[in-house]
Amino acid sequence: MSLFEDIPVDVGIIYEGERIRGRDMQIELGGPREDYKFELVRAREMDEIEDGKITIIGKDLDELDEGTNTAFGLFIEVAGEEIEKDLEGVIERRLHEYVNFIEGFMHLNQRYDIQMRLSKKSYKKGFTSLKILGEILIRLYKSELPFIEKMQVSIITDPEKVKEMYQEALEIYESRDARARGMSDDEVDVFYGCSLCQSFAPTHLCVITPQRYANCGAISWFDGNATAKVDPKGPVFEIPKGALIDAVTGEYEGVNQVIREKSLGEIERVQLYTGFGYPHTSCGCFEGCAFWIPEVDAYGVVHRNFKEKTVNGLDFVTISDLTAGGRQVDGFHGLSIEYMRSPKFMQADGGWDKVVWIPQDIMDRTKEFMPPEIIPKIATENDVSNLDELKKWLRDKNHPIVDTWKPEEAPKPIAEAQPQIMSQQMPMTGFTMPSLELPASALPIQGLPQGVNLKIILKNVKIRAEKVIIRAEKE
Amino acid sequence: MRHIISIQLFNYGRRQRRTLSKKDLNIKIDELESSLGTIKGLEIQIGRITDEEWEEPMGPTPFPSVGTFRDWDKKLLNRYKPFYMPLCDLCCLCTYGKCDLTGDKKGACGIDQKAQQSRIVLLACCIGASTHTAHARHMLNHLLEEFGRDYLLDVALNTNVEAPHIRLVCGYKPKTIGDLEEALDYVETQLVQLTAAAHTGQEGDNLDFESKAFHAGMLDHVAMEIADISQISTLGFPKGVSEAPLAQMGFGSIDTKKAVVMCIGHNVLPSVDIIDYLMEHDLFDKVEIGGLCCTAHDNTRYDNRAKILGPISWQLRYVRSGIPDLVVIDEQCIRLDIVEEAEKIGAPVIATSEKSMMGLPDRTHDDPDAIVADLVSGRQKGVVILEPRKVGEVVVKTAMAVSPKRKEFKEPSKEKLFENMEKCRGCLECVMACPNNLPIMDAVKACAEGDLSLLSELQPLCVGCGRCESACPEDLSIISYMYAASADQCKDECFQVRVGSGAITDVEIREVGRGIVFGEIPGILALVGCANYPKGGGEVAKIAEEFLKRRFIVLATGCSAMDLATTLDEEGQNLYEQYPGVFDAGGLVNVGSCVSNSHITGATIKIANIFAKRPLRANYEEIADYVYNRVGAVGIAWGAMSQKAASIAAGCWRLGIPVIVGPHGSKYRRNLLGRKDKEEDWITLDARTGDDMYIGPVPEHLFYAAETIEEAIVMTAKLSMRPNDTTKGRAVKLSHYIDLSKKYYGTMPDDLELFVRGESDLPFTMKVELLEYLKKKGWEEGKIGMPDPTLLDRMIRRKK
Repeated sequence: MSLFEDIPVDVGIIYEGERIRGRDMQIELGGPREDYKFELVRAREMDEIEDGKITIIGKDLDELDEGTNTAFGLFIEVAGEEIEKDLEGVIERRLHEYVNFIEGFMHLNQRYDIQMRLSKKSYKKGFTSLKILGEILIRLYKSELPFIEKMQVSIITDPEKVKEMYQEALEIYESRDARARGMSDDEVDVFYGCSLCQSFAPTHLCVITPQRYANCGAISWFDGNATAKVDPKGPVFEIPKGALIDAVTGEYEGVNQVIREKSLGEIERVQLYTGFGYPHTSCGCFEGCAFWIPEVDAYGVVHRNFKEKTVNGLDFVTISDLTAGGRQVDGFHGLSIEYMRSPKFMQADGGWDKVVWIPQDIMDRTKEFMPPEIIPKIATENDVSNLDELKKWLRDKNHPIVDTWKPEEAPKPIAEAQPQIMSQQMPMTGFTMPSLELPASALPIQGLPQGVNLKIILKNVKIRAEKVIIRAEKE
Repeated sequence: MRHIISIQLFNYGRRQRRTLSKKDLNIKIDELESSLGTIKGLEIQIGRITDEEWEEPMGPTPFPSVGTFRDWDKKLLNRYKPFYMPLCDLCCLCTYGKCDLTGDKKGACGIDQKAQQSRIVLLACCIGASTHTAHARHMLNHLLEEFGRDYLLDVALNTNVEAPHIRLVCGYKPKTIGDLEEALDYVETQLVQLTAAAHTGQEGDNLDFESKAFHAGMLDHVAMEIADISQISTLGFPKGVSEAPLAQMGFGSIDTKKAVVMCIGHNVLPSVDIIDYLMEHDLFDKVEIGGLCCTAHDNTRYDNRAKILGPISWQLRYVRSGIPDLVVIDEQCIRLDIVEEAEKIGAPVIATSEKSMMGLPDRTHDDPDAIVADLVSGRQKGVVILEPRKVGEVVVKTAMAVSPKRKEFKEPSKEKLFENMEKCRGCLECVMACPNNLPIMDAVKACAEGDLSLLSELQPLCVGCGRCESACPEDLSIISYMYAASADQCKDECFQVRVGSGAITDVEIREVGRGIVFGEIPGILALVGCANYPKGGGEVAKIAEEFLKRRFIVLATGCSAMDLATTLDEEGQNLYEQYPGVFDAGGLVNVGSCVSNSHITGATIKIANIFAKRPLRANYEEIADYVYNRVGAVGIAWGAMSQKAASIAAGCWRLGIPVIVGPHGSKYRRNLLGRKDKEEDWITLDARTGDDMYIGPVPEHLFYAAETIEEAIVMTAKLSMRPNDTTKGRAVKLSHYIDLSKKYYGTMPDDLELFVRGESDLPFTMKVELLEYLKKKGWEEGKIGMPDPTLLDRMIRRKK
């Protein structure tokens, strides 16, 4: 028996991409023409709510005029043994997906900015009450997230009531965000691992902590918590973080152990807050990439959507190619934008003080979380277009990195930052290419006493090579 | 210190080469004294110097020969055994024959039916691959002459992997158009070997023939890549979707008041010079240039003021309309009676390729004005001109001079077009000759009695082959009738087609990565190939729309890319207008002409290279293993007709990409079908442990001829599954498979239990009903494994 047999429209993943255009629309709930709209999930105690209860406050669908819009609030309360307050945001964000699963329903944006549309077609099929929406949501939630034991839904279209609850909702979002951002890696015992990308990058494992989002920017520690609860055997799982090895670089015994196991020994150690030494590996779908600029002894960061060349003349594609595929490459580090909002961002390398260049778009998105004094000192593509200009900019703005340069202004890299491409290529298992490389020590030339020069005399020598390959190799 | 150095440089290379590869270099030093030592009479002879800037180490299989990937091919062919459908039971290739090969009979040379069928597949693939190779050679030679060997390749925006096929197969990284020659030399050499294998008394085993056909297919994609990236780099074609504007297609796109030039074929070079001539002389407002088949795509890539007249199947229809004032043919897919047909409407023909001279006199070295005079006066019905510049001038001048003289042909009266219709004897020969059994006779009879509707309805279903006319004992002009019956609506038809974008950029590949990994994008569907459809080109649009709605990435090339533009929604918008032209979920991209097909396979190769950093260089097996097991790509050639379509498909098979063809595709003589009932066929290695694991029949087939689009659609959803799918990805793919099966077959799939590995694979909205169903089928959780899948023993990762 189908889960939705008694529902007048179909519900399924196949409707996810459905768009409802203005003229096909029966009603718009929220949206840009309404000042007040929200969706909110709250965790309650088991005895505080009545499972399955759906309340409509204000007009229902059949009382609203065709083609119009209305103020709209969707308020969901859940309870369950395993439900913590921290899960509210995770549960709430599923709404986007779930509402889009409904045939003839479209959902855009989130929180206080939602826009939902019901199609005329689905209305005519019998989707004439918001109770049906509540009913579908309860069934979807309970079947995908079994830790939800009780759920009740209130749907509000009464403008006054929406306005009133909207204010409350804003406060809740804000405190939730503050809590999420205030949460530190030190105060939890478990991190989450995500091996989803191993299908593309077999040695990669994302370690998701409260202060380090997954590289793709899509999975927070809270998401990890919920996902692991639903499917403990799935690709997102708990990592007991174990004993702290180094607080500055972010190295934990438990993390190392899991990494070793999941990468089949390829990766030995991971330090979470650095781009050097044992950096977190990079998958293939990271949002942004930090890249070391040896000329100024600091990082630039570039993101996926930046189509131009960065300040060192390389574009995102080239930079990300240097580190993608589950490798640890000094100075080239895949990351999420959210991680850039974290106080632990590249902490071991000097954090924001070691960042000298980012695209304007990243600047706009992370500004709020950067130390205020550094903001005007970091250059974007609008300020400089090459390394010479960058150096001048940094000096003019007195970026903290300048103080670390030697007086003659020849910046000394803190570590060898050139990607060692030869050694970091994934081995081609099973094939060894014949090569004629003599270790330097094998040459007798080194054994000569000081002051004695070697002279080679070649006479009537014929050298015949079928093929000579001249290959540029970086040291 | 004395320095006496004398160095002699000899270069025996075919041509002076200034970059990268140098052949046969000799250095002679008579005497050299330096602080390091003294050298006397030193001679150094070097066969080839390769100046490499590519740091990736050379992979295991640079420039593979005919047998290099035999083991890999056999792994695939053992899972997807050829299922033979002989179109002809006889072999008549040598003078022993004809030999009857039915049953267990052997031919005079010892060949059996299976080997003979595979041999024909190999020959078809050799012809197809040779055609693209010859096209690439013509293109490259011309461009080298015009732009020089050192002209830099510039293929796509934000892209480092400029030539995935050349890198993968040949193991080098081309920088200039001159560098492409080495790969092309290689392809040509290999194709000779393959063709030789089909000689009487050479290869005798059917699977070895198949492996060679795969080889031809792989080479074909290298050749197509060479042809396309050389023209993209030099001729200013769009370098990615963001640069691709819209162009116009259809009868209504042509201003018949202007002189109309109709270019047929695949090679853009003659058209480039026609367009250049129009620009230089500011004649675009006096002359229309329209194209049929792939030349049309490439013309619009060069200049989107050029028009797409339509796919290959519209050739006769256009000529019969009387609209073209002059016909230019280049190469491939040209109607071989084009000179005769054009003569009937007073339009001269200009042939521009040595491969297709159609018996016309070669006037390459004559004075252009003299040629124009002969054509305009009708002294010559057509000429061959092999020099593109001259083509430009002669074509434009002739078309402008002929146009005013052709008034009587330009708008033929209905009476003229319907001439002799009443003579139809009702013999049904036309229906028997029609490849799709269209009810032609009834329609002609109805039309003769004044009811045009039946004929008009046939028009969009007709593949334009003209066999009905040949068969007609009264020599009735059935194609003309069909055109006349729908001329009034045809004339206004003007469709928007997105200009071919060329290669998928590296950035686009990376952008979709997350979607593919997480299963938000259920698959990549490529609609490619010719227009030999069972029920008209509208079906291509139906297939495309079904998967666009389901957020597949849909790519199209060639005639399919044109046909899917002809179906409009209630607001008069076609799919190019309704869906974004992006390489992303729910996006529709016209990649370009036939040779642009290399970018579709190239994109799958780049997914392996860019995401997982799998080494690309001369590392074919590993990349194919990756694409086969992980990238949910499916090709549909719904109207596949040509030998080129065969070799394009063969290049997909070797990479592990399943291909579906329409019902006429069974005439390719065999399918490659998996047996889902045989569990032992679906054992794969787990690269993490080295263990054997049953993975279920994914993807179930490698080459499948579908009878109807309903079958093709449901099969596409099924073939997009891969052993590596994440649970979410599999859930999404299963949702579509189940939904499409219900929609088109009215029932649940009968093999669902073979694709569900565990409960988390089930789309959770259907979990309850599916579990009930699976229980009845005796399904057990965990029977189907979720390995890190590979067919290559060497990919097993040994724990450190």
